[in-house]
Amino acid sequence: MRNRMTRRSVLRGGLATSAAALLSGLPAGKLLAQEPEKPTEIIVRAWGGDWVQALKAGVSDRFTEMTGIAVRHDLTEDNEIQPKVWAAVAQNRIPPIHVNWDTTTNATKSALRGVTVDLSDLPNLANTTDLAKPVGVDGYPIVNTYGYVYVLAYRPEAFPDGAPKSWRDLLDPRLKGRIALYNDGIGFHFPAQVAGGGSLDDIPDNMDACWEFVKEIKAQQPLLGEDPDFTTWFQNGEIDAACTISTNALAAKKNGIDIAWTVPEEGCKFDTDGLWIPKGLPENELYWAKQYINLALTQESQQIWLDGLGLPGVVPGLTPPAGLAGDPSYPTKPADFEHLIRISNAVQVQNESDWFSKFKEIMQG
Amino acid sequence: MTSRSQRIVFWSLVWFSIIVLSLPTVIVLGASVTAGNIITFPPQGFSLKWYEQIAMARDLRQAFGRSIHVSLICLAVSVPVGTLAGIALTRFRLRFSSLIQVYLLLPFTIPLIGSGIGMMLLFGSWGILGSVWPLGVALAVINLPFIIWSVSSSAAALDGDLELAAASCGAGRIEAFLHVTLPGVMPGVITGGLLMFVLAMSEFLVSLLLTDARTVTLPVQIYNNIRSIITPDLAAVSSVFVVLALLAVWLLDRLVGLEIFLKSK
Amino acid sequence: MTRTPDQDSFRYPLVWRLLDGLNTAADVLWPRKMARFTGWLLLAPALLLVGILVISLVQIAESSLHVLDRSTFMPGEDYTLANYATIADSATYARVLWRSLLGAALTVVFTLLLALPYSYVMVRTTSALTRKALLIVLFLPFFIGQVVRAYGILIVMGRSGAVNDILGLVGIEPLRLLFNFPAVVFGLVQYMLPFAVLMLAPALTAIPREIEAAANSLGANWIRTFRHIVIPMAKPGLVGAGLVVGTLSLTDFAMPAMLGGGSQDFIANAIYDQFFRTADQGLGSALALILVALGSVIVGVIIAFFGAGTLGMGGKK
Repeated sequence: MRNRMTRRSVLRGGLATSAAALLSGLPAGKLLAQEPEKPTEIIVRAWGGDWVQALKAGVSDRFTEMTGIAVRHDLTEDNEIQPKVWAAVAQNRIPPIHVNWDTTTNATKSALRGVTVDLSDLPNLANTTDLAKPVGVDGYPIVNTYGYVYVLAYRPEAFPDGAPKSWRDLLDPRLKGRIALYNDGIGFHFPAQVAGGGSLDDIPDNMDACWEFVKEIKAQQPLLGEDPDFTTWFQNGEIDAACTISTNALAAKKNGIDIAWTVPEEGCKFDTDGLWIPKGLPENELYWAKQYINLALTQESQQIWLDGLGLPGVVPGLTPPAGLAGDPSYPTKPADFEHLIRISNAVQVQNESDWFSKFKEIMQG
Repeated sequence: MTSRSQRIVFWSLVWFSIIVLSLPTVIVLGASVTAGNIITFPPQGFSLKWYEQIAMARDLRQAFGRSIHVSLICLAVSVPVGTLAGIALTRFRLRFSSLIQVYLLLPFTIPLIGSGIGMMLLFGSWGILGSVWPLGVALAVINLPFIIWSVSSSAAALDGDLELAAASCGAGRIEAFLHVTLPGVMPGVITGGLLMFVLAMSEFLVSLLLTDARTVTLPVQIYNNIRSIITPDLAAVSSVFVVLALLAVWLLDRLVGLEIFLKSK
Repeated sequence: MTRTPDQDSFRYPLVWRLLDGLNTAADVLWPRKMARFTGWLLLAPALLLVGILVISLVQIAESSLHVLDRSTFMPGEDYTLANYATIADSATYARVLWRSLLGAALTVVFTLLLALPYSYVMVRTTSALTRKALLIVLFLPFFIGQVVRAYGILIVMGRSGAVNDILGLVGIEPLRLLFNFPAVVFGLVQYMLPFAVLMLAPALTAIPREIEAAANSLGANWIRTFRHIVIPMAKPGLVGAGLVVGTLSLTDFAMPAMLGGGSQDFIANAIYDQFFRTADQGLGSALALILVALGSVIVGVIIAFFGAGTLGMGGKK
């Protein structure tokens, strides 16, 4: 009880600060008088499970406490909400959501399509690191909110000699049928390019090395899935190793499964997720949607939200969650990024379809 | 069944079917009473906490209410339309009948993703997305062949002379239709109606595209949850469905008798 | 008091008046000389309702003629057949298409193989209790929907699931039963079985017991009775059930997605990927249209050869 009281008061303090920041110079009282009408709720698209729980604790609950506006989470998949939002904007309808929590690559497509609202005027952007700024687009059609690593997660039981050193270790015959990748190959292409003997500089023009390695992996009969599948498969003993976002491995670990992860010598893909607002919202709802994202960029919100995800944020001064300081899945210093592979989202957006069909061609064989 | 070998062969196939059909249901029922936090079978311990959780969840209750709403609209649209069509196809001589059959099977030959995207764009341009009722209409469309089939299989068995007899006794066309044709196809209408209702209650793909967070129906909610993280509360929701199913089947049995599904007339 | 008993004892009921009115209205609005079009009148609402899909189909056809512009993620302005060329050139789609067709065909065969004895036993059993029990077993899975049923299968047949436990009892090492083509077909059969039984049962009821008894008394064993009497007479039911099972499995999405482990895509999954994952509506539309054309041609050929069976549409020649 005492604990909660303390946290409440901390939240209030945070609130006052953010409200003031919002008003960019105006006294808080005056600002409040000018606030646009509050909607009863705003809808935020989110990934389910541990993902949405973390967002709720870090941002949504605080937002409701500060503004009195309820937050409804829409658990439609990111790629399934996309055509719905695009169609709504094209048909001049009010979009089905206020805020989209999305991968930066997917969000960039929406930005190129012109369905995103520019967020450059969010006051709290001033306090963010370079990671928050999307690359290859004008302004801030999306704000990146954290980074993540597609690690090699494994069950230590299946690797008695210690962590796998290389992605090539997945080719061990005893792992046949025991490994898993994302079903669109995302996160695996770039390390595969290195593991296949190619160079990252040749992306996207020459990726033969990547496809050669994917073919070798195909012979290992990998399972292909999405975020929750990895957690489930580890829990049910279906797989021994997977290329997945560290958060999914962490979720299995929280459920009592013995699981570890590593960044092999070829490196791992690093990418970002972000928040954006679709065009076509009524003025007042747009205002409050922006406040939501602005709140997500405060240190307090980032701390709670990203503790839940176990991922590094975009504001300075965050404390790493227990056990993750110095972990390869939690890069903060420049040295941490040496083994991580970052490819610009512009390149990814341009080539994703081709990579996807090439990956499918190999995997559906 | 007279011969022993026939009995053995048939009953082993039937038992195989029974196991295949029921096992997932049994597993879901079992997993819903687990005390643990993940779905497993056999369950870890016994607890009703997941039922408590879903009883408390306003989202689920609202989604369930909307599903009932949508299914009723689906019934209201599909039963009259399907009944008339079923009668038309069997009691009347129509030209191009093969073409009509292919046309009326379009809801099955168009993949649901295509139908879903298509109707999302169409309903969007008509400005009716965002309400619950268009989904009911959409579900009536994609499952229409089922009710047409069940009505026409009843209608085909109806003796055409009965209608003529009614007419020769002085019944007008409307009377003949109401007192002879309609009662004759009633078993098919009931079978088809029940199918439409149940299918509307459990359809997720088209529903996903035609709903938003404010109009989400139960199957979409379940689908989205299953794809994020699977906790035993979903098993509890499904178990509630099973209980409702038992109730509906019992009610049907009391009202018209389950044997209605076996009759062709 | 001079009342004639006849006048009082018979009052023309209101319902009759109403019906007379309706008949008169019908005669005015739809004169008897229009009778040969009555069938079309009754059919019109269904044609219109399916018309919603046809309009969608036209939109899909339109968007299949535009190529995605990846600098704006809008469909291009120009009309082109490039999407169809992409599909024709790709080895993936041919393979996925073939897999869908094979999967649908196998599903039809196995489903009918199980549905025929099931409906036969259900129709012929003398015990009302057995009949009811078999019907209830049929209905329950309907209500929990395809996704949850697929999930149930994932639990039962997983590496640590009940089936592997039983295999373990007889000393067999845990097998990978899931995430392959047979698992997808198994899931589809499980999904389709209730539909098929419900469609077959009326057709079997229509076969008089006496005919079978006659065949038996003439010395035919049950296999011959079945082959020469039951199956031919149940043909409309078999064709109807086969059409429904075949078209629905050909276009199914959930079973290949959930039980295929990501490498057993059917065409619907490929369409999903184009619509949702790569945001390429044009290519997805082209694939959808090809699938519709293929499905319709197959349905058309089957109806031309065997009739529509208990789908009954156009039953009277």
